[in-house]
Amino acid sequence: MTSMATTRADDRKSPPDPVPAARAVGVRSVLARHPLVAYAVRRFGLYLIEMWGALTIAFFFFRLIPGDPIQTFIQTLQQNYVYNVQASAEVIARYQHEFGLDGNIFVQYLHHMKKLIIDHDFGPSLINYPTPAQDVIMQSLPWTIGLLGISAVIAWVAGLGAGAVAGWRRGKPGAEVATNLAIMLGHVPFYFVALILVYVFAYSLGWLPARSAYDSNIPVAFSPQFIGSVLQHGILPAASIVIIGIFNWLLSTRMLMIPVLGEDYLLYAEAKGLRPGDILTRYALRNCYLPQVTAFGLSLGFIFNGNVLVEQLFNYPGLGSTLVTAIQQLDFNTILAVTDMAIISVLTINLILDLVLPFLDPRVKYWG
Amino acid sequence: MTSTATIGRVLRAPVGVVRSSPKLAGGLIVLALLVLASLSSPLVSRAIGHGSDPVAVAAYERWLVPSPAHPLGTDQLGRDVLSMIIGSMSTSLQIGAIAGVISTAIGVVVAFLAGYLGGWVDAVLSTFTGILLVIPTFPLLIALSAYAKEVTLFQVGLMLSIFSWPFAAKIIRSQVLSLRTRPYVELAKVSKAGAMEVIVTELLPNLAPFIGVGFASAALGAIFGLVGLEVIGLGPSGVIDLGHIIYSAISTGALTLGAWPMFVVPIGLLTLLFAALNMVNIGLEEVYNPRLRSER
Repeated sequence: MTSMATTRADDRKSPPDPVPAARAVGVRSVLARHPLVAYAVRRFGLYLIEMWGALTIAFFFFRLIPGDPIQTFIQTLQQNYVYNVQASAEVIARYQHEFGLDGNIFVQYLHHMKKLIIDHDFGPSLINYPTPAQDVIMQSLPWTIGLLGISAVIAWVAGLGAGAVAGWRRGKPGAEVATNLAIMLGHVPFYFVALILVYVFAYSLGWLPARSAYDSNIPVAFSPQFIGSVLQHGILPAASIVIIGIFNWLLSTRMLMIPVLGEDYLLYAEAKGLRPGDILTRYALRNCYLPQVTAFGLSLGFIFNGNVLVEQLFNYPGLGSTLVTAIQQLDFNTILAVTDMAIISVLTINLILDLVLPFLDPRVKYWG
Repeated sequence: MTSTATIGRVLRAPVGVVRSSPKLAGGLIVLALLVLASLSSPLVSRAIGHGSDPVAVAAYERWLVPSPAHPLGTDQLGRDVLSMIIGSMSTSLQIGAIAGVISTAIGVVVAFLAGYLGGWVDAVLSTFTGILLVIPTFPLLIALSAYAKEVTLFQVGLMLSIFSWPFAAKIIRSQVLSLRTRPYVELAKVSKAGAMEVIVTELLPNLAPFIGVGFASAALGAIFGLVGLEVIGLGPSGVIDLGHIIYSAISTGALTLGAWPMFVVPIGLLTLLFAALNMVNIGLEEVYNPRLRSER
């Protein structure tokens, strides 16, 4: 399966052999002499297999759901445009072709994969016909990336710091309270926190808005008022993600820190008279933060799951809301596009992290 | 080894494990209390309703504030909130139990096939598990539930376990891999024990805590999944769990009306449940990895 990719990657990646006499023929020996290349090729092959598998499962999953999207679409047309004529067979066939719904499911699958891989096209969206599904997504994506991206990074950085301190000062009352709180709350879904925050800050105190992403009275522009309004509306949803995120990262960082704390080089650093803060950040944390980089990449996919709920709760115009609307209207192209994009981004982030990690940390050895 | 001795060993191990970890014991106690509370649902209904059904529509005035007769008040349809919450908590727990058992069973089978047979079986199964782990499950769950109306509790559990077994399989597989090369397993193999015998008598007893962790995560994932669906109003209509009460609190404006028990109590109970299952998880992991234990 990967032999084709192997040959191509070798032609590009392997440096000229310093010992011409040792130049053996064949892919196998080149790979044996360049374990890093072999690792990269194998990892990339796995990436392609996983990608194909996940996209295929997603496609068949959504197509096997009962329901006739074309009928739904024509009904919507009739309601919206008082379009009272009964849809003819030709009209239905034309829309079926347009939405990639003609032929049996395997023909549809090949059609979908071909459009996805060659044209990078997910087909037209049903809810916003004839806008392509990817354009519908692009309208909501910035909101989601802005809200989630920023809060996820804040949570990760703060959680890493808190976890390092909690591990460093373990046994001390403050650190133990924080750890136990994290055990209690680390896996609580973040829309619980969101609900409580909304109740307290939006309804009881009336300090912050409870719904939507910006004040609709302010024109959408790159003005200070508009940006201020967006930030104000983002505080509550972001806070709910950050609070739970910090607890989660605190726990896992602490678990990584504790084995490191017994190591000899920390004792040595202490004996040299380095300040505890320096030992913690430059010696202890440095040696255990990399797994957390990988975990962060993986967590992006899971954030997507919970994000749907937070966006619904706050009526936030992001990807999650688009997805829920699309599912309610049987908009297959948009549903698939959102899911496929989530799959592609999680797998790609993981691939990049796995390929870059050996260069960041010399102890990481996946090959040889 | 006789079969009674094996059963004895399988049963005795958990007691020792629970004794050695306060977190595990604490989690199990909270869990037991929650199960007891949900089992007392008929008693609570009788005490509040005095014979009639307190969750019937229009049983009482609408939006009553908490009082001795209705400790948590009533909802938009005049139903007693306390009896509603206790009743739906048992639904949430049942979903967790059903999905937990199904996912753990699938997870154990996949993990043993992959970990024990190794080779291409392992490669195929592990890749498949990995693929399921990167597919965002929530969109799929929304899609499933949007069209699965009027389903039974068992069907909901089955639906939720489709997406939670890969976690269980992953946790258990890594342990099978580390256990299968241990000396006592090798010894059992050398003494001509069959694969099934080795798995049942040598591997399963030592894997019990990890199967426990897999069960707890799967149950957690399933309860979380259903609550999530219910909160956005897309839950299967035949099932009323704690998430459904949160949803009706949001959709009827209980937040603005100050009917706080309707969403604070379900959230509190679910948080307690998550905390308990999580304590069980961490407790079990600590018992088998003493380096994680905090110094006392």
